[in-house]
Amino acid sequence: MIDCNYSKAKVFPYVDGELSELVREEVEAHLLGCPACRRMVEGELAFREACREWLHPEPAPERVRAALSDTLARLVDRDRATRGRRLMRRIGLVAAAVALVALGAGGGMALNTHLLNRARIADFTAAAVEQHQKLVRNVLPADISGVTPKGAEAWFKQRLGFNMNLPDPHTDGLTFIGGRISHVRDIEAAALEYELEGKRVSLFIMPEEAYRRLNPADKPRFTVMSHRGYDVILWQSNGTGYTLVSEVGGRSCLVCHSPAEKVEEAIAQRTRSPARL
Amino acid sequence: MDSAVEFQGLVLGQLDSLYNYALVLTRRSEDAEDLLQEVLVRGLQSFATYDRSLSFKGWMFTIIKNTYIDRFRRQRRLPQEEPLWATRGVEEPVLSLDNPLCSVPLAPEDLLLRREAIEQVREAIRRLPDEMREVVELRDVEGLAYREIARVINRPIGTVMSRLYRGRNLLRTCLVELRRAVEPPPRAADQTSKAHDRL
Repeated sequence: MIDCNYSKAKVFPYVDGELSELVREEVEAHLLGCPACRRMVEGELAFREACREWLHPEPAPERVRAALSDTLARLVDRDRATRGRRLMRRIGLVAAAVALVALGAGGGMALNTHLLNRARIADFTAAAVEQHQKLVRNVLPADISGVTPKGAEAWFKQRLGFNMNLPDPHTDGLTFIGGRISHVRDIEAAALEYELEGKRVSLFIMPEEAYRRLNPADKPRFTVMSHRGYDVILWQSNGTGYTLVSEVGGRSCLVCHSPAEKVEEAIAQRTRSPARL
Repeated sequence: MDSAVEFQGLVLGQLDSLYNYALVLTRRSEDAEDLLQEVLVRGLQSFATYDRSLSFKGWMFTIIKNTYIDRFRRQRRLPQEEPLWATRGVEEPVLSLDNPLCSVPLAPEDLLLRREAIEQVREAIRRLPDEMREVVELRDVEGLAYREIARVINRPIGTVMSRLYRGRNLLRTCLVELRRAVEPPPRAADQTSKAHDRL
């Protein structure tokens, strides 16, 4: 026969239904003859019931729900696309034959692909701008600061599974603030923060594979977008994808290149008439 | 069914719970969202390994916890687990179902369990030290079994019981304090009158 101390020690696992059958029977036998322990268990059960009835997970805010639903939808699309590509590889020659048959509809398909790619880049651009805003407002604080870009490069290389080469130009008015590992939609990227002539510039660096999924055109080399007043420039170099977000257009290229280089001029033309979302 | 679509449906059905647990760990809505973005990618990648005999929610919670730990490890900013005031400097006690280390739980009938009191319960849970809050949330809000919780937090079941026991008792203490804070003390006149009644 168990005593009150033993019974009281079993109260939580008892009301949680976590006791073995043998111990549960022992406790119940004790409760039959002990009004004090029975009262305690009844009170505990009432508390559990009230918790079960009224305590529910805090609902996700609508904004978060929408963002996560969006990510899920994109992951499903990507998964389908990946499986589709595998299937295409398998059927090889058959696919080529089908392509010939479909030649007549080629124009329409090309247009469709083009629009799909634009939508993908536009979506990524919107996400990059959103991350930039959070970084500027310090909603997403830096993981690393007080180091040079080369110091940050070593830090990121230890933590991210892709190669990167962080520029370190010595340009007047340019200050490296810090960086963090960030997620632009579902892409893990190194996010670097700079201040350029009093304006904040974010540089997102991602693996080439992730950049390729955005499927930007190979030419021109720089894809220039605009979203909510921010200028977004995407390009890839030596197996790494880069995205600059700022309000200073082609001037943001000073983050990577010294003023003596001509890169800024190369895209200045395009930033005068960027694609708008 | 397409496995990615199945994953999507399961996640959407548990979105509040997933967000809530991410929020328990990170304490900031932006960080919780950021964490979940990464969790969704990892979850879909490993969905083929999901053991259907386990609850999907518990499985996702494990991914959330592991991703959270990886992220802090990456950032070299390991979260400081706040020791309970009563056990500061003392090794965490471990319970077992056969040999529990516990005394008398606070009498729950002392607590006012009306619907309006539930906000007080929520507030008290938020005030618990992190390690206890996590276990109390997983058991009392999410309804996970002890073994599932042990799997999520990667600790023995005895540690789960110990944290749950201490967390619930501390929760009751917080609730009593909260009630005292909102209820005015009895007036001297009332006490005198009650004393007369007793006489």
